[in-house]
Amino acid sequence: MQLQYFLLLAAALFCIGIYGVITSRNAVRVLMSIELLLNAVNLNLMAFSNYLDSTAIKGQVFTVFVITVAAAEAAVGLAIVLAIYRNRDTVDMEQFNLLKW
Amino acid sequence: MTNFLLETVWLVPCYALIGGLLALPWSPGIIKRTGPRPAGYINLVLTFLAFVHSACVLPITWNHLPHEISIPWLNIAGLNLSIDLEISSLSVGAMVVITGLNLLAQIFAIGYMEMDWGWARFYSLLGLFEAGLCSLTLCNSLFFSYVVLEVLTLGTYLLVGLWFSQPLVVTGARDAFLTKRVGDLFLLMGVLALWSQAGTWNYTDLAEWATTANVNPTLITLTCLALIAGPMGKCAQFPLHLWLDEAMEGPVPSTILRNSVVVASGAWVLIKLQPVFSLSPMASSAMVAIGVVTAVGGSLIAIAQIDIKRCLSYSVSAYMGLVFIAVGTQQDEAALLLVLTHALGSALLVMSTGAIVWNSITQDVSLLGGLWSRRPVSGIAYIVGTLGLIGVPPLGGFWALLQLASGLWTTQPWLVGVIIVVNALTAFSLTREFSLIFGGQSKQMSDRSPEVSWQMALPMMILLGFTLHLPLVLQSLSLLPTWATVNKDVALLLIWSSIFGCSISSVIYLGNVIPKPIRFPSKPIQNLLAYDFYTPKLYKMSIVLGVDMISKLTDMIDRFIIDGIVNLVGLVSILSGESLKYSTSGRTQFYTFTLLIGVSVLGMLVTWQYWGDNLFNLIF
Repeated sequence: MQLQYFLLLAAALFCIGIYGVITSRNAVRVLMSIELLLNAVNLNLMAFSNYLDSTAIKGQVFTVFVITVAAAEAAVGLAIVLAIYRNRDTVDMEQFNLLKW
Repeated sequence: MTNFLLETVWLVPCYALIGGLLALPWSPGIIKRTGPRPAGYINLVLTFLAFVHSACVLPITWNHLPHEISIPWLNIAGLNLSIDLEISSLSVGAMVVITGLNLLAQIFAIGYMEMDWGWARFYSLLGLFEAGLCSLTLCNSLFFSYVVLEVLTLGTYLLVGLWFSQPLVVTGARDAFLTKRVGDLFLLMGVLALWSQAGTWNYTDLAEWATTANVNPTLITLTCLALIAGPMGKCAQFPLHLWLDEAMEGPVPSTILRNSVVVASGAWVLIKLQPVFSLSPMASSAMVAIGVVTAVGGSLIAIAQIDIKRCLSYSVSAYMGLVFIAVGTQQDEAALLLVLTHALGSALLVMSTGAIVWNSITQDVSLLGGLWSRRPVSGIAYIVGTLGLIGVPPLGGFWALLQLASGLWTTQPWLVGVIIVVNALTAFSLTREFSLIFGGQSKQMSDRSPEVSWQMALPMMILLGFTLHLPLVLQSLSLLPTWATVNKDVALLLIWSSIFGCSISSVIYLGNVIPKPIRFPSKPIQNLLAYDFYTPKLYKMSIVLGVDMISKLTDMIDRFIIDGIVNLVGLVSILSGESLKYSTSGRTQFYTFTLLIGVSVLGMLVTWQYWGDNLFNLIF
């Protein structure tokens, strides 16, 4: 097993997440795609921590922090989506283009 | 005392200038209560002073060498401009003529401008003219002659445009200024070109230089042609002659001055420059050609006019053409004599016709008639003016024409023919005008026409006396040839041409054989002459059209291309702002996308060195 495979898998996951972030029309799915991005990052951190820093495992500490922060961010994100939904009665991203030029 | 007068003769132009300045406070806007008349009286006094001063100096300078004065004006970087004055009997004599004629014109104007409030402007401009002309005669430097000529051009503009509420006056003043200005600008080119060849602008030095000068013939020909162009405009020569016709819109008293003296200012410069012209035979022949065309054309046009003032203005052009011929054939003395006799004769004619116009209102000779029995004074003045102008033996014009013609008798006999034809034609046109005004039946406009008041009659009579005495004066100064040395063939030809012209004209216009108004067998030719060869149309079709088109074109280029380029920059930045703002689409996902693009492009650029070459090798 090599480090590269983990990294490639994480990159693929990141790209899938990006694709989801950019193309999803549902705001909740955008948040889900952001979770995918964060998890891809976590995969990277874990892989690096395992292969390059197996003694101090700072990567794992980072990962713990990222998971924590991601949970908080998802909560706030969902709160925002809910707040918008209450006003506009929809979670379609295409409808949220009020702040233009 | 005599020395003092001689030393201070340069004050003569200053008197007139001071008179001109002192007249200004009586402008209606400044002294509002007492009327403008003192302006005229002050000018009269100062002109009289100038006349007396120059007349006293004239005997002192007679038979003496010219007295030269040089006043430094500007000395800068190797260019030394000094106002050179030459006090010779010639220049002082010219000043006597100028101040004398101006004095008479100003007395005439007191009567003529009786019902006009614009005396301050009128008299200050007459003063300016007198000052300008006197300084022109004193001035011995081509450069300062040019300066004075330009000042006089401006003066002409203001004086012709005196009654500026009349539309024809405005266009006449405009044409007078621009036409003379064009000539003056050519003169400036010549003046500047002469400096690089001769290194001096002093007439005496120029004459000295011309005797031994070794110059490029093409260069000196071009310079001389430019020097001719200035006087050509000033003297109203073809094709720069229309302004004199339109300048007849100005008041009559100023016309007296202009017809007699101002047009001669160009001739004066021409005569002074004669040594330079002798360097270039082509310039001399061009001068003769201009003179011939103007003399014949002008006297023909004068015959076909119906305006009393314009009849005379074309004769002025014709006589100035004779002066051109005289200078072109190196006959300075004949030219000066011609200028002198023409000044007196022409001034008398204008005074007489001005007196007629003042009481008969119309200037149309076809509406006048039968004034002889009621206006004998004006009539006699007209006759004497005519005789003084054309070749009739005892009077001045004859001697001038005789001197000119006998100088040409052996060398260029065809020019004698031209002079005789011009003399006959002028005799014809002046007699025609006399017959139409004073002869024949009285018409409605001239039914009740009293003689003018003494202010107009007095200068007319004084000038009549001068014109009659001119031959005696000339003889006492031994300027006339004795009868034994006169070329009798020329003299007889001149006399016969005058008699011929006068008698044919009086038979046609005083006799009842030919119905009036006279129709020429060929209507187009009559119109061609009456409309001055359609010169206004020619100007309009050539120079005016060209300049107008070019100025419109440059205006369009400036307006659309130059301005357009600069405006385009602004327009592009506005448009780019207006169109680029749509990049702020308001969609979060689009922002994310651009973020991603930015990061990946930047990442590609940073890491290009590690994989870019490999990629190239892979593809190509």
